[in-house]
Amino acid sequence: MRRVVLYEMFERLWHWAQAIMIILMMLTGFEIRGLGVHLLGFQRAVSLHNILAVALVTLIIFAIFWHVTTGEWRQYIPTRKFLREMVAFYLTGIFKGAPHPVKKHRMAKLNPLQRVAYLGFKVLIIPVQVTTGALYYFYPNLQHALGWSPSSLWGIAIIHVLGAFGLVAFLIGHVYLTTTGHTPLTNIKAMITGWEDLQDDAYFEES
Amino acid sequence: MPYRVRKPSTAWQPGIWRALICLVAFPIAVGQAQQPNPPAPAGHGSYTAVHAAKGRRLTADHSKFKVLQGPFKDSDGPAVTRACLTCHTKAAEQVMATSHWTWNVAKEGKDGYGKSTHLVNNYCISIIGGNTESCARCHAGYGFKDKSFDFSKQENVDCLVCHDTTGDYEKEKGGWPNPGVPLAEVAQKVGAPSNRNCGVCHFFGGGGDATKHGDLDDTILKAPRAEDVHMSKQGAGMDCVDCHASDAHKVGGPNYVLPADRREHPKYPGETVSRMSCAACHTDSPHKSYVLNRHYQKVACQTCHIPAFARGTLPTNTYWDWATAGRLKNGRGYKEEDANGYEAYNSIHGEMIWQRNVKPTYVWYNGNLKFTRLTDTVTIPADGKIVLNPAEGSYSDPNAKIWPFKFHDATQPYDTALNRFVAPYTAGPKGSGAYWGDWNWDVAIKMGMETAGLPYSGKHSFVKTTMLWPITHMVAPKEQALSCVECHSQNGRLANVPGFYLLGRDRGTGIDKIGIGMVLLTLLGVGIHGYIRYTNVRH
Repeated sequence: MRRVVLYEMFERLWHWAQAIMIILMMLTGFEIRGLGVHLLGFQRAVSLHNILAVALVTLIIFAIFWHVTTGEWRQYIPTRKFLREMVAFYLTGIFKGAPHPVKKHRMAKLNPLQRVAYLGFKVLIIPVQVTTGALYYFYPNLQHALGWSPSSLWGIAIIHVLGAFGLVAFLIGHVYLTTTGHTPLTNIKAMITGWEDLQDDAYFEES
Repeated sequence: MPYRVRKPSTAWQPGIWRALICLVAFPIAVGQAQQPNPPAPAGHGSYTAVHAAKGRRLTADHSKFKVLQGPFKDSDGPAVTRACLTCHTKAAEQVMATSHWTWNVAKEGKDGYGKSTHLVNNYCISIIGGNTESCARCHAGYGFKDKSFDFSKQENVDCLVCHDTTGDYEKEKGGWPNPGVPLAEVAQKVGAPSNRNCGVCHFFGGGGDATKHGDLDDTILKAPRAEDVHMSKQGAGMDCVDCHASDAHKVGGPNYVLPADRREHPKYPGETVSRMSCAACHTDSPHKSYVLNRHYQKVACQTCHIPAFARGTLPTNTYWDWATAGRLKNGRGYKEEDANGYEAYNSIHGEMIWQRNVKPTYVWYNGNLKFTRLTDTVTIPADGKIVLNPAEGSYSDPNAKIWPFKFHDATQPYDTALNRFVAPYTAGPKGSGAYWGDWNWDVAIKMGMETAGLPYSGKHSFVKTTMLWPITHMVAPKEQALSCVECHSQNGRLANVPGFYLLGRDRGTGIDKIGIGMVLLTLLGVGIHGYIRYTNVRH
């Protein structure tokens, strides 16, 4: 068993800041849509949602810079290696107390399912939300300048809302899967402190 | 309390401070002394300061003019006008070119959109069926009783109704001055029109205070700030003419014709620009919030800033059912009141509804109301209700905005063979054939249409009508402006305004269901997975 820094300071700050922002954007977003959330009132919810949008995009720009300069972006390259084993682990092995099929490593800290999920999050859901959000915000200007039809906003709004629901689903799955570590809190502790005990010998088996 | 309170004297302060203060304060104090009426402070203004400034600008004291010394014969308005015209030689000519005089307007190349011509409304319907003389109490002239009136006679222009400052001037049938009016005294005290001058007619449209417009009534003269920030003396203390600015007696802002040119800045120095839009004073981005300012593109200021009309103490008429007029008790007309003491039935009018604090109805509006004339053929739509003056505009119309309106519902008589509205003769004594005397629609309509010189088939019935009255006065203080969710919600104020996607109102069919389903499925999957893990661990 080795104790290593799995998540750098920036990575943790980025993760938690992003988490807080996305959760606040969900709450304000659903308040704006009128889905039963009553926290700030419509006007303040809209303001906060817009401010958070700018803050989140700024943070993402920093995160992209960090990923590129540190080479950490490689962590998200999808792989088929152990993919089948991971699926099998979540579907059956985990219930029998089977060992985790993928060994965590400083340079490969994400299992193949995480890689696909987070890559999808980063290149699909977030860009779709950022793009539709920006189009939504600037719609009056764009519509005026480009002569778009007033009904196009329907499409933009619907995609933005579906993306938001997708984020909620992602959040639920994400939080649940953090409990599948060595103990239910192992992964969350690692994301807070950065340190994780890599129990490579016990958990790693060639199959 | 006066707007500016002088600071208490600082003379008791000792030493160097006193010297310094005197040095600084003395020239200021002298400057103030030379200027008896300080200019109106910026911001909310002050009734006292504004009107002191207006008084200061007058260059003539009319009580010094020989020609106005009189005596004038009782009710001899034309004599006063002749006196006015000795100095203001072009004034009558100017007035005679305006709709205040002609009571007629041409619109989109067609004539006849006026009271004296063929415009039809759903309050008193029309004046030309023999009712002109009593309605002409509000004509800016003398002697208008029927179509024989000479619209070219300058001495018949009524200067005093707009320029009286005493409040003693009153008009009677045909527009003649009440015999009790001291004409010489009134003439010697003429000045710029105040709210009372305009209100004497415009507050009383539809035959009574507050009846017609909904956002204009007598209570404005003594309105608290909450009723009208502009005209309230506790508010900006403004006069009607501060916005409805005149150019050669042509008063800006008529409802019948769209101001063709909505420029808010003069084209050349000295051009009088009617300040008919809020932006003329407030700019088109008066809010701190960028998002709020952007509403200006599609939402009229009035929509958020006039949360309700008839916010004074008086109710406005929202329903007038001519079809139920003429019920009699012992051969005589009678009246009934509703729980609020408002007239719910009157034999001469029919059933009526009066309301205070009425939420407006919102429609797209580009400034053009398409009015109906007595000469227009109408078709009754599927819902059985004819809109007499539908508002033009839609989301895609760059000049259109969402505007608040008073919708006035009514039933009124029309010619079932010619499919035109009719002008009944209503106001007259028993035996005259007038409806209010003899209670016979057939006779009243026949006589009315004869007087009007219009064809009538002899067959009439009643049809439901709606009329739109744009709401633009009674602007509330900003604290009372609508909150976002008044419109950005399901079943909000804009629930029926079509043509665009409105955040909070429109959802897309089933989108929320799909989304919530997605979330629930995830929860279900996670729940099952977690449950199996949990039970297995316990084994």
